[in-house]
Amino acid sequence: MLQDLLNEQKALFTPGVHTELRGQNNRNRRVILLSGDVVANVRSDVSGVSARVYRNGVWGFSSMAEYTKEAAGTVLKAASENAAFMDRHAGNGKPPIQALEGGKPFTMEAFHDPEQKVYVDFAREIDDYVMKHCPNLTSRKVIATEDSMEKLLKVSDGRDAHILSPRSYIYVFLSAETTAGVPVELFKPFGGSGTFDVNFTDPSALYSGIDRLYEQLMQKREGVYADAGEKTVILGGMMTGMLSHEAVGHTVEADLVLGGSVAAHYLNKRVASDLVTLTDFAHTAFGKPCPLPVFVDDEGTEAKDVTLIREGILTGYMNSRETAQHFGMEPAGNARAWMFSDEPLIRMRNTTVHPGKDRLEDMIASIDDGYYLIDSGNGQADTTGEFMFGVTMGYEIKGGKLGKALLDTTISGVAFEMLKTVDMVSDEIVWCSSGFCGKKQPMPVGMGGPALRCKVKIGGR
Amino acid sequence: MERITGIAKTILTEAKKLGADYAQCTVSESEKKEFNVDGGQFSLMRTLFDRNIIITVLKEQRKGTVQINRFEEETVKAAVADAIAASDSGKPDPAWEFAQGPADESFEEGAPDCDMDRLFMRTKELLETIREKHPKILMEQMITEHDAGRTVFMSSNGVCYRTRSGCYTFGLMYSAHEGEKSSSFYGSDVTLKTLDKPIIECALIERELTAVEQQLDPEPLEGKFVGPAILAPAALAEIVIETVVGSFVSDMSLIDGTSIWKDKLGQEVADPSFSLAFRPFSEDVVIGDHYTGEGYPAENYDLIRNGKLMSFALSQYGANKTDGKRAGNQSSNMIIESGKETLEQLIGGIEKGILVMRFSGGQPSPGGEFSGVAKNSFLIENGKIAGALSETMISGCVPEMLRQIRGISSDTLKDGNVSLPYIAFEGITISGK
Repeated sequence: MLQDLLNEQKALFTPGVHTELRGQNNRNRRVILLSGDVVANVRSDVSGVSARVYRNGVWGFSSMAEYTKEAAGTVLKAASENAAFMDRHAGNGKPPIQALEGGKPFTMEAFHDPEQKVYVDFAREIDDYVMKHCPNLTSRKVIATEDSMEKLLKVSDGRDAHILSPRSYIYVFLSAETTAGVPVELFKPFGGSGTFDVNFTDPSALYSGIDRLYEQLMQKREGVYADAGEKTVILGGMMTGMLSHEAVGHTVEADLVLGGSVAAHYLNKRVASDLVTLTDFAHTAFGKPCPLPVFVDDEGTEAKDVTLIREGILTGYMNSRETAQHFGMEPAGNARAWMFSDEPLIRMRNTTVHPGKDRLEDMIASIDDGYYLIDSGNGQADTTGEFMFGVTMGYEIKGGKLGKALLDTTISGVAFEMLKTVDMVSDEIVWCSSGFCGKKQPMPVGMGGPALRCKVKIGGR
Repeated sequence: MERITGIAKTILTEAKKLGADYAQCTVSESEKKEFNVDGGQFSLMRTLFDRNIIITVLKEQRKGTVQINRFEEETVKAAVADAIAASDSGKPDPAWEFAQGPADESFEEGAPDCDMDRLFMRTKELLETIREKHPKILMEQMITEHDAGRTVFMSSNGVCYRTRSGCYTFGLMYSAHEGEKSSSFYGSDVTLKTLDKPIIECALIERELTAVEQQLDPEPLEGKFVGPAILAPAALAEIVIETVVGSFVSDMSLIDGTSIWKDKLGQEVADPSFSLAFRPFSEDVVIGDHYTGEGYPAENYDLIRNGKLMSFALSQYGANKTDGKRAGNQSSNMIIESGKETLEQLIGGIEKGILVMRFSGGQPSPGGEFSGVAKNSFLIENGKIAGALSETMISGCVPEMLRQIRGISSDTLKDGNVSLPYIAFEGITISGK
């Protein structure tokens, strides 16, 4: 746990100048078993302190890989000098950032640090299970990992905070070959928010998920190529989550709106069918904790939900305090930094389409010739809203019934056009939190959604 | 350098005391100075002082690795104990092997000292030049920086390397705009040793800005055809190089046996015009690796020479696991031999095809099959650029493409890290609406 060495350094803040001072530790634990061999066995702890200062529309930032009072003083001085340099040479005369009301410092309970043996032993048990129960594999890989952030934040205005964000996962990768000798692969993450020893107490809790993954891989081994072209499809919840994050979420981050995103022209306009409501949740969604809850961001803003699309109409952007002021919106706690040496950027938290009223079975039954697309390996989107997602698992739908599994394929489209074709939304949502969002810095994010029936372009062979 | 050398010695002594059979460490100090432009305006200046220690120990053939960024003696000793504890929890693997000394070398590379005023001047000049010469370009983000560092690598086998290095990098992310029309975003990057000329003249920056400005009115492709695609350097790296390196020749794919090239060493895997090498000592590389992560001296090597697979990209561990041979380096300094035709001549020979500047695609399958969106791309008709494309997908199979090379350009991207030409491949499925 970080001791509070920063509180008295607040006396060094220049009165009336927005200033942030942050001590941070990022820890990572990682064990990789490749076909039974421990090919990585790594522990990492990276800590330090940083300061950011705002002056007339420009920022100064500095960080040191040292968590001491002296280092805090040094980075505050360097950040102030950097802000002054920028103001002198490239200042744009913007007004000061509007001060936020303070409040009781936000604090969270301490978390502990399991020893490496806990990761290795659990990964071995999972690997043993895969070896014994999944006979037709060409290779297998099990990764046990935890990446956790601890931040101690002091701000000139807004809320000070001591934030702890642990998350831990087991990834299982299975590989096999088609009858033609072509390699095929599937993977599944297990886990979520929390330390490894809390999330993973019983290996057998993962067995049914591994069995299902193996079953899907065996089906994929006999899979067919998708027929290229525009098709009616059902996007499973994981795919909807990817769409919510990549194709919509990024275009409505206010820094990207200022940088040329197409969403600059769409505020208060229809961008989706009226069945679509999309929210970036802070910490609680539909009465339950979000996969990666955020309570206070790294600018000292208390986190609140941001409704991005309400019944098909684009209603808001995600903001930092600076961009919120620019757009006349309310900051909602989206400014987050990855390491001590990173400045806060506008990031999503837990982004999902709201559930609808349809049953997944009815949605599948409604399609005569199309696809049910379940899992995505990766996804990218443009500031124009044009997106591409890799599809690693899916099925044909023929005559309202699931058919053969698909080999790897890709879907693409323009988000704000494609979302207008949504005509059914399932009544359950699926969350995923194991990935990193990539911007200037990586950042853990949660994403999710219900199944959507829509039209999308699918790549064939 | 003296301070980090002392820390490295402490680590090795402590590891030996705690029973390690082998230990190595990398200890480094670095300083970054960075300017940020957001939405076309200067927004932020950063100064970062960083440290890093990576400790790897081997005890009874079990490996443990720890990374920290603090230099206090107590913390460093605790990290060594942590690495030993991690290795104790592992499983013995006789394949771990590290370089034997003695070796003691010092290297100085790039631009270790920062000229801050000149960095700011070149950044401002670049922004102003783009505003003037490319008024439709909106700079979503531009990050310009100088990174300098001192590093010591030391092992208990008597290997010691000391490096002092630095470089300037310019990263631009931008799109073209006119009213409500906009192009896809595009990124240009360059790493430099000196700031002796305007940045817009470096790498392919000027050409790429011009091309993106021509993408304001993209049209979807009608229908689908199989034909030639010219991959610009960024798309070539994304589609071809990442697949070859990631899926066909790396440690992981060869150890787990999923590489489709596992039995192809010495055989033809590409058209004879294609040669791909990893050359950290190329004059086109600003800062190249002098040694591998296992402590072996780095040397240039050919992965593919005149179409023939000459080597895998194996570490010593990977080599021991697969009865293979360790590659000369583990860098990302890819050099693809350029051809004789200009890009214009390559385009001139194509009746109907596509020029792909950037690729947004799914992870290629382990067999090298890929599909994705051709971004910032142009339709080629009758030997000429016919217009920018939107919503166009391309798909193909990398091993098949490498055997169907139609031409390689003399124009190359030299960005300080790689040297890559434009390559025209036959047999790409190109589909629109």
